[in-house]
Amino acid sequence: MSLVAEAFVSQIAGEQILLSDNAASLAVQAFLQMCNLPIKVVCRANAEYMSPSGKVPFIHVGNQVVSELGPIVQFVKAKGHSLSDGLDEVQKAEMKAYMELVNNMLLTAELYLQWCDETTVGEITHARYGSPYPWPLNHILAYQKQWEVKRKMKAIGWGNKTLDQVLEDVDQCCQALSQRLGTQPYFFNKQPTELDALVFGHLYTILTTQLTNDELSEKVKNYSNLLAFCRRIEQHYFEDRGKGSSSIRSS
Amino acid sequence: MAAPLELTCWGGGWGLPSVHSESLVVMAYAKFSGAPLKVNVIDNTWRGSRGDVPILTTEDNIVSQPAKILNFLRKQKYNADYELSAKQGADTLAYIALIEEKLLPAVLHTFWVESDNYFTVTKPWFASRIPFPLSLILPGRMSKGALNRILLTRGEPPLYHLREVEAQIYRDAKECLNLLSNRLGTSQFFFGDTPSTLDAYVFGFLAPLYKVRFPKVQLQKHLKQLSNLCRFCDDILNSYFRLSLGDG
Repeated sequence: MSLVAEAFVSQIAGEQILLSDNAASLAVQAFLQMCNLPIKVVCRANAEYMSPSGKVPFIHVGNQVVSELGPIVQFVKAKGHSLSDGLDEVQKAEMKAYMELVNNMLLTAELYLQWCDETTVGEITHARYGSPYPWPLNHILAYQKQWEVKRKMKAIGWGNKTLDQVLEDVDQCCQALSQRLGTQPYFFNKQPTELDALVFGHLYTILTTQLTNDELSEKVKNYSNLLAFCRRIEQHYFEDRGKGSSSIRSS
Repeated sequence: MAAPLELTCWGGGWGLPSVHSESLVVMAYAKFSGAPLKVNVIDNTWRGSRGDVPILTTEDNIVSQPAKILNFLRKQKYNADYELSAKQGADTLAYIALIEEKLLPAVLHTFWVESDNYFTVTKPWFASRIPFPLSLILPGRMSKGALNRILLTRGEPPLYHLREVEAQIYRDAKECLNLLSNRLGTSQFFFGDTPSTLDAYVFGFLAPLYKVRFPKVQLQKHLKQLSNLCRFCDDILNSYFRLSLGDG
């Protein structure tokens, strides 16, 4: 079983990247750092199209390409590295359930905020998403993506939600995470797992990204143990390792 | 509470008070929390609305969608989660998210998209409860809505093909059932001896899958192997729904 010698995480270029993609990318970086695997972060404007599933981030190891956190966790496990081996069956079920909660609520809220809230769309998202492309491609791609996201929101019943309801859902989700975390250093006490990586990715990005208003980050800031959790992971896995993750600084 | 609470929802069959998952979740929660609900089953007269079911009507409110209805009932002091700790409350949210993400697509597929099941069971059942000519249109629309939901949440752009997605959603659903079975273990309910919101959701999604007779049954077969989940559904049906089944 060969060790993963070098993997690189591909994501969209710095000024183009959006909140939700940044969160996903950071989650994968955190996970790989927690597994002690060396990674190199590479930015490409067309990363979305390079990915086998159409979603960023993806890792490129030797001649294999794997995208999204779930499959990446499986892939890394197949190579012999796993963070959740020490958990029993009930804990594993809980971990999977909480990961779905984050995807269901936080990620959807991020997508909603980016693509369905008119102020954010007009001021930030359209400009950023289309920035590497010449006119009129930048507008076309941005509108196409917005249409796709709106369709999805409608299908899952978020189409009629107001911004306030979405923020309330985020609050509920943060409350649940905060209650589950309690006073422990990580969700499953001493050792971090992929759940910690995922939660860190989303919360950290929400806290550090400038949007048209601060309501989203205010919701997270209400929970001091979540703030401490983010700080702890940042210090432990990113500052101490320095180098490769300068992407955190720039967001 | 003196104000009568009326719930409009799809009716029952195969031993269930309702075959529609979301309606069943609300009915189960009402039984668990002791809320006095008057159930109006949709039949093929033109009375009442059919979209967005289940719908709760009180004197001055109309609430739709299970999550909102449950919230409303809680505010009216019908709270089935009274004895749960904060962590158990958080676990409830997480497991509900798990069910919606992993199990729901496959349940929707089994009922509404799999052609054998849809044309022999689902469509005739729903069409018989919808007045003509709406009965020609509404089931088809519900089926398209289900397919849409599956493809948009699980399909991978730019290819929205069902075939690729089918295998994955059934795998995810089987895994989800296994996880729920592991979590339930040998307890009677998910959190101790009294049923709560999570029990209502699990019952709502599992019972139709367990009881309705379909031609294409791979997910049902898998569920039947998880005996503690089957026992869970049967227990709730016997304890909370036996009396009302007698009235039809």
